[in-house]
Amino acid sequence: MRALMVAVGGILLLTTATRGLAAFDLVGTTRVGARVEPNAVVWLEAAAAPGRETRKVVLDQRNLTFSPHVLAVRAGATVEFPNRDRVFHNVFSFHDGKRFDLGMYPVGASRDVTFGTPGVSRIFCNIHPNMAAYVIAVDSGYFAASDASGRFQIAAVPAGTYVYHAWHPGGATLTGSATVDGETPLNVRWP
Amino acid sequence: MALSRAVLLVLFVVVGHAGLASGQSLTAEADVTAGHSTDDISSLATQLRAFGDLKAGVRFYLESAWARRSDKESDAFAAAYPYGGHFDVIETYGERLFTPGRGLVGIRAGRYRTPFGIAGRSDHAYAGFLRPPLIRYDDYFALSNTFLEHGADVIAGLPQLYVEASLGAPADVGDAKRRHGLDSVVRLQAYHGPLIVGLSRIWTQPTQPESFARGRAEFTGLDVRWMHDGVLVRGEWITGQPFDGTTTDGWYADLMLHRAAMGPVTAVMRVEQLNYNIASEYALHARRVTVGAKVRLPRGLTAQVNLLRQSGNLPVSRAIPVDLALTYSFRLH
Repeated sequence: MRALMVAVGGILLLTTATRGLAAFDLVGTTRVGARVEPNAVVWLEAAAAPGRETRKVVLDQRNLTFSPHVLAVRAGATVEFPNRDRVFHNVFSFHDGKRFDLGMYPVGASRDVTFGTPGVSRIFCNIHPNMAAYVIAVDSGYFAASDASGRFQIAAVPAGTYVYHAWHPGGATLTGSATVDGETPLNVRWP
Repeated sequence: MALSRAVLLVLFVVVGHAGLASGQSLTAEADVTAGHSTDDISSLATQLRAFGDLKAGVRFYLESAWARRSDKESDAFAAAYPYGGHFDVIETYGERLFTPGRGLVGIRAGRYRTPFGIAGRSDHAYAGFLRPPLIRYDDYFALSNTFLEHGADVIAGLPQLYVEASLGAPADVGDAKRRHGLDSVVRLQAYHGPLIVGLSRIWTQPTQPESFARGRAEFTGLDVRWMHDGVLVRGEWITGQPFDGTTTDGWYADLMLHRAAMGPVTAVMRVEQLNYNIASEYALHARRVTVGAKVRLPRGLTAQVNLLRQSGNLPVSRAIPVDLALTYSFRLH
């Protein structure tokens, strides 16, 4: 009898612990009014978050275009800016967020910038006026940028309720509540 | 001419369908510029460009330009494009880049700007200066920013040090067109930190008619760029012969200032000299100093203003002209 009670208790404890550790992908959409909004960034406030950004983060310069147009990184991440065009580029950011000027560099060369604090940096090329991009550094390990169809996916978020923030170029930052349970999508809509 | 029409047709179709073709990595953009100079010249110019990726890593680039000035005597506004009052095909090429290991190999074929020294469109067009350097203008017996090649161009080496070689035939636009024939360009470029140095050599045809100019045009040039903390210093020095029995040498040095505190303003200054040496009254010696600014305005607008002081026997009406231009740039994806 005692052994049975220990076994049942163990199962109950394990189930509770597993539910507490359960993680799901948070999926959703971003829209401005009825229009799908690509290039929006959504992030969650979370005290416990994955470790530092270790993956290689690249903002390409190719065909006189920055790619991606909006790059979301965790604050503290280092971003590479390789020049893959046979013309010189001169990446700079003089407005909000991280301020820097990488100077001119030729094809095949690359420069690095560390985005140490949260914020939006507007990236330009001083040689090509049509080149523009955004790097948004967030103080969270749970974030994603929406794709061309306005969909986003934040991977492996522990189940629970979070405060989310959402941003898109030229728009205000939205704040709200998001439930992560593997079933409830987060649909963000700017007016 | 048939080629020009075909390319123009393709360009307009591409621009017209840029939105539909965005999934194929296609970008189209246009610049429209209106300008006025106290040299009693007004100008209107437009450029259309389309570029992107084709299959198997091959990229393409198409550019066409139309521009017109009220007077041809001055070099105002001719920084990188001809002002003949008709559409010209500027660059039309395909290219591919390889990066084997740390190496760099690039192949380009078609119609492209002569790769001598600081020669790119974006180096000269609307970069803050509204006139080309004296050593890079049509009629001044040196090189021209409207020189183009029909041929093939290869770069090979490392990003830090590579050699570029071009073999083709002149395909110039503008008033000064080189005679038909083979020509070649070799260029060595190296960079270390903020310093970029290039050494170029061209063997080509003279722009003057054969009855007047015998032999070949040959030039050697050294170009330097250095940039630190928003301060760009660049320049070129060239020497050579536009044809047998004559020599041309000259240089320019640019200072371009774009510090964080300056916001959208880039301040520019150019000092330059040109010497076309011939034992007659046709010799041309000129000096010029340019100060000015480029201001990035909202909604794709860029304003530029240049104040020049020039001396020598240039075909201009004023010693201290002022040039103004407003450019509207937009891009279709």
